[in-house]
Amino acid sequence: MPTLTIDEREVSVPAGASVLEAAEALGITVPHFCYHKALGAVGACRLCAVEIQAGPQHGLRMACLVEARDGMVVSTTAPAATGMRRAVIEYLMLNHPHDCPVCDEGGECQLQDMTVAGGHGVRRYRGKKRTFPNQELGPFVEQEMNRCIQCYRCVRTYRDYAGGHDFGVLGVRQRVAYGRFRPGRLESPYSGNLVDVCPTGVFTDKTVRFRARVWDMQCAPSVCPHCSLGCATWPWARYRELLRVSGREGPRTNGFFLCDRGRFGSGHANHPDRPRTPRLDGRELGWPEALEALRERLTKLTWAHGPGAVGLLTSGRASLESARALGLLGQALGGAPVVCEPHPRRDRAVRALVAELGQLGRDQEDVRQSDCLLLAGLDPEGEAPMLALAARQAVRRGARAAVWDPRPDRLPFPARRIARLPEALLEALARPDGRAPDGLEAAERESYAETRAALQAAERPVLLGGADLLGPRGVRLLLAAARALSRPGRACGLSLALPGPDSFGGALLCPDGPDADELLAGIEAGRVRALVCLEADPLSEHPDPARVAAALGRLELLVVLDHLPTASAARAHAVLPTTAAAEMDGAFVNHAGRLQGFARVYSAGLPIRVTGQGAHPPREFRPDTPGELPQPGWAVLAALAGEPVELGELRAELARSEPRLAGLAGLVAGGPGVQLALEPSARERPDTPAEPGVAEGELALLSVEALFGSEPLSARAAPVAGVASEDALALCPADAARLGLGEGEPARLRSALGEAVLPVRLAPGLAPGFALVQRRFGGPLEGFAPGGGPIACRIEKGGAR
Amino acid sequence: MDAKLEQDIRAEFEPQIRACAHPQELVVHLLRAIQREHGWVPDEGVELAARLLGLQPIQVEEVATFYDKIYRRPVGRRVIHVCDSICCWSRGEQEIRAHLEARLGIRLGETTPDGVFTLLPTCCLGACGRAPAMQVGFRLYGELTPDRVDRILDEERRAAGQGDPP
Repeated sequence: MPTLTIDEREVSVPAGASVLEAAEALGITVPHFCYHKALGAVGACRLCAVEIQAGPQHGLRMACLVEARDGMVVSTTAPAATGMRRAVIEYLMLNHPHDCPVCDEGGECQLQDMTVAGGHGVRRYRGKKRTFPNQELGPFVEQEMNRCIQCYRCVRTYRDYAGGHDFGVLGVRQRVAYGRFRPGRLESPYSGNLVDVCPTGVFTDKTVRFRARVWDMQCAPSVCPHCSLGCATWPWARYRELLRVSGREGPRTNGFFLCDRGRFGSGHANHPDRPRTPRLDGRELGWPEALEALRERLTKLTWAHGPGAVGLLTSGRASLESARALGLLGQALGGAPVVCEPHPRRDRAVRALVAELGQLGRDQEDVRQSDCLLLAGLDPEGEAPMLALAARQAVRRGARAAVWDPRPDRLPFPARRIARLPEALLEALARPDGRAPDGLEAAERESYAETRAALQAAERPVLLGGADLLGPRGVRLLLAAARALSRPGRACGLSLALPGPDSFGGALLCPDGPDADELLAGIEAGRVRALVCLEADPLSEHPDPARVAAALGRLELLVVLDHLPTASAARAHAVLPTTAAAEMDGAFVNHAGRLQGFARVYSAGLPIRVTGQGAHPPREFRPDTPGELPQPGWAVLAALAGEPVELGELRAELARSEPRLAGLAGLVAGGPGVQLALEPSARERPDTPAEPGVAEGELALLSVEALFGSEPLSARAAPVAGVASEDALALCPADAARLGLGEGEPARLRSALGEAVLPVRLAPGLAPGFALVQRRFGGPLEGFAPGGGPIACRIEKGGAR
Repeated sequence: MDAKLEQDIRAEFEPQIRACAHPQELVVHLLRAIQREHGWVPDEGVELAARLLGLQPIQVEEVATFYDKIYRRPVGRRVIHVCDSICCWSRGEQEIRAHLEARLGIRLGETTPDGVFTLLPTCCLGACGRAPAMQVGFRLYGELTPDRVDRILDEERRAAGQGDPP
């Protein structure tokens, strides 16, 4: 730990830290552009000049490039340093347009801040400024190239950090510009990070262009609700409208960056058809009447038919507190059990993980620091986009990566691949002798043996998987493999993508409840007469929508609490509007068992853009706010149970009743969160039966999530709606040829998930014997709920689309 | 760019690419070959180079736009690079440039109507000892005076008319 003196104050920093980072530790910000914590230093902008007055180097130096050494004496305020910075900022401003008043970056612009900090106020340059044409980069990112100061942050983020391949740096000298070869949508799933890293207004968020200044917006630390990773976000709202999301520093999770689903998928909170008023039997009511009526009906049903007459269903979308409040409602109704997920196989997979994970859970930071990764049945782009980015950082540092998956490889890093379902391979990996499974080809056997050896030799190995493909049996095999690869003092970690942001928390609260199929059986048998769905949409998420529709039709009472206009909400007798994550305080437990809090950004209400219809809001006096009725799910449920609580009381109760959640008591939104103290369940591990295979002549259908359009929240966000990929049936060329199908030709797909006529897309990376579709809301694949693993399907030529 | 050119380039470079551990090294060679045959490098040329080398078009474009002697827009048969760096500037570059512009009737960045000359500035030709200097095609000319420039232009125009390579 070198100790040095900066501006007459001593500081000790870890070996290898730069002078700039050492100054930061003292709270001294040396002005800079190109340096970024996640991207490192390149010395491109020449702004961070300091004077080194004693130590191995002397004189004016770039603080980001000089390693802090013992005994160094540094001045950030010496005249030479401030003079250099003033000169550099003046050079950087030579060509910069004076368009701050119409620039979306204004007010949160590092160039503005640094210009002021550098002491540059009066322009002396009288020459012509260099100008550029701008490129059309798609619906998310707006480019205004004239504002560029050539810090290279964008290309370092897009290409180096995120592995994008359609963006680069063009030209030389004064003509340096950043962009694509041809205009068009940025293809990387992480393109929105350009907006965050650009220190000026070259890349701004196109979805909120000219909508608000930073000081006009409300903002609070939040957690991304679009997958299970729990990335740190700042949602920004103005006039009751959730405008945008930017990345927040999450050292254990996302680092700095976000995926485009998390960044541009927030519009669901502004959805025009979102439930905003309690509704019962087609009538809109106030809260007291609606709750009173529902409480009476639920109580009567329970009295008449026992506590089993009411079914309770939640999903990974609901917050931890809401899931707990649903459990408490069940207790108040005499012990009605909670079902965690509308998809029974997903439900069992998550519960299997939560029961056995113990301390093996690994966050994105652990993945970034790993030296050997195995991705078994994980498609990060659909299930957990940032996990691919984390794995890429490990590979950039030299980690080995292997992939066992039949789906085409879309990873932003090279990996050894076995194009098969991972189950048999994991089973072999979990066995003490580790012998390769039968039926592998020679090259695959060799690849398997190499991967196993690398995992054993590694210091920080992590197994990554996806609950959707693996299912409960695959998850147990992955856990068994991680245990088999662990030895005292060195664990093999595990990072499993789950369906929703609080899937883990939900399963933690009800480890033993029935699954959705048992619930449906109860409804079909007439035992369950009422169903309460907390932010769950069984009609869209259960693998058999026809069965769900029939069962819901038998119910005497279907109550849906949600902030999305779901198919199930449309069929409900009662809809109780809840708040979206940005409109409430709450907590999620992420995929690795990390409990993280999020804070309310703004209060729910009808956006002024809606009430004013684009003009000035109506000039009418009223004591309330239009559309303000949505309440957090937990508050609605507690009121429904007849025992209204405050969030603090609910959390305290939760921390008392579930010791693993003791961290809730001191949980702060915006903090690093708490890694739950999990013990592997002491119960005997059930032997999960293998799932039915696929017969000769049939293909195995995988219905998976896409980056956009599959996940229920972002699928209802306006900016994302235009970019969801076309519905298509992917086949490997050999299978397509056998079926007589060519690229783009219509094919009829029949499976237990339903029927659809889709154009064929040839996917050379797809393993033979598989068919792949991506579920998309609002299209023919809406009913193809992901999470079912491989199921039998039949494909034939033709059919009218 | 026609299919014949693509075939020729492919035939010329495929053996080299196969023999090369890092085909990326050949970007400049490929771009120059395309430019030699086509006069300049169109978008399709960048994409062809990317295809042959297993790169993304943007990676080729980065190199193509870095070098001022790879032309990404149509140019005349002779490209004049007149040096504007400090040695040439101190020895009369501005006068030479003005003379070139007047004689050719074009400004920097333009091409003569007969398609013979394109006039471009360049930053240092490595001929500081013979400043002021310019390069026409692949030929370097130093110690320029307006008279000498006239003679060079006449000679280059004649050679271009005969179809001599630049």
